[in-house]
Amino acid sequence: MEHLLIEQKHEKGRIGAYAVLCLCAFLAGCNIGAWAQSTAPAVSVGTPFSIRATHLLGFPNTKSNCNGILSIKDNTLQFQQASKPGAEVKVPAIQGIFLGGESKQVGGVPVKVGKMAAPFGGGRVISLFAHKKYDTLTVEYVDSDGGVHGAIFQLNNGEAELVRNELVTRGVSRNVVRDQSTERSTAEVSNENR
Amino acid sequence: MKTGKRKLCICLAAIVAVAIASPGLLCGQSATPKSPAGSSGTDKQWSIQVDTVDPGETQLAYSFQVATYEDLLEELNKTHQFKHIFREGDRRATDAPNLLFLKTTVVKYTAGSETQRAVTTFSGATKVCVRSQLVTREGKVVLDRTVEGTVRFFGSNLRATHNLARNIAKVMEPSAWSGSQQVELPI
Repeated sequence: MEHLLIEQKHEKGRIGAYAVLCLCAFLAGCNIGAWAQSTAPAVSVGTPFSIRATHLLGFPNTKSNCNGILSIKDNTLQFQQASKPGAEVKVPAIQGIFLGGESKQVGGVPVKVGKMAAPFGGGRVISLFAHKKYDTLTVEYVDSDGGVHGAIFQLNNGEAELVRNELVTRGVSRNVVRDQSTERSTAEVSNENR
Repeated sequence: MKTGKRKLCICLAAIVAVAIASPGLLCGQSATPKSPAGSSGTDKQWSIQVDTVDPGETQLAYSFQVATYEDLLEELNKTHQFKHIFREGDRRATDAPNLLFLKTTVVKYTAGSETQRAVTTFSGATKVCVRSQLVTREGKVVLDRTVEGTVRFFGSNLRATHNLARNIAKVMEPSAWSGSQQVELPI
């Protein structure tokens, strides 16, 4: 009987220790998360920011559908293709930043050929999975004559927001920033409620 | 045997000669109608200001609006039908003589899906239908057309804007509006 009681006590002690450990781990995790959150936006305005992007259209002296580095240095938004002089737009000239999302086929020509070659309509099944979601960043800006320009960039999912935040940090007004993906989802929700 | 070879050589020479001569003929054919097109329409050269796309009551994505605007400028540049092509807000346009304004309003927009197109081939088409108006400084509409741009099978959704811009540029030929009756724009 005593033996049983001792065993039960040991069991309770183990459970307690396990609970304390879990609590400690949870608190540590929360602290790390909070620390990461608090450090992320603390980017100084002078620090250059760069990200890989695809220029779809609209930037001056840049080919359409080309890959490169989209960077923000000092007061300019710059897009540079590999080993080519970059095109740039001054941040104060930016009048609007719009975020959106698109789904695009990945794999290029090899996947296309594979789809065509697949027997029994297997290409369609490949199409189902050969797609990736991208963010689109649309920038509206004015030139020295006051003419309105627009440029569209394609970025990896979630990266457009980083560029937007960076531009806002550098002085682009929050009023000109619009996120159409969220606008759309809210519109859809309101339609569903009706 | 020798005569056969000779005949073969003559035949080959004739084929080569015809092949060399025919592109020249084709060039001549394609070049001939171009020259009157350049001087067609009225004597005065018009300039055009392309306004940004008005989404109307549709929920057209901003990227589509901007892509249509930029593609329009590019396609109009390619046609060489206008002396100057100005962007909206361009200060140089205020002094430009014979200026027309191109106003584009989206009438209908069907958002498609590239995945759906690839999987089904008969659904998922992206369609943009716009009303294009050429308006003078005085507010007179000289051309009013409804134009559509679609992507049915291949390509990304944004290709619809490229097709749309090309179609709009096609209907902007001076011959289409120079002799047309002018209509007062209701403001």
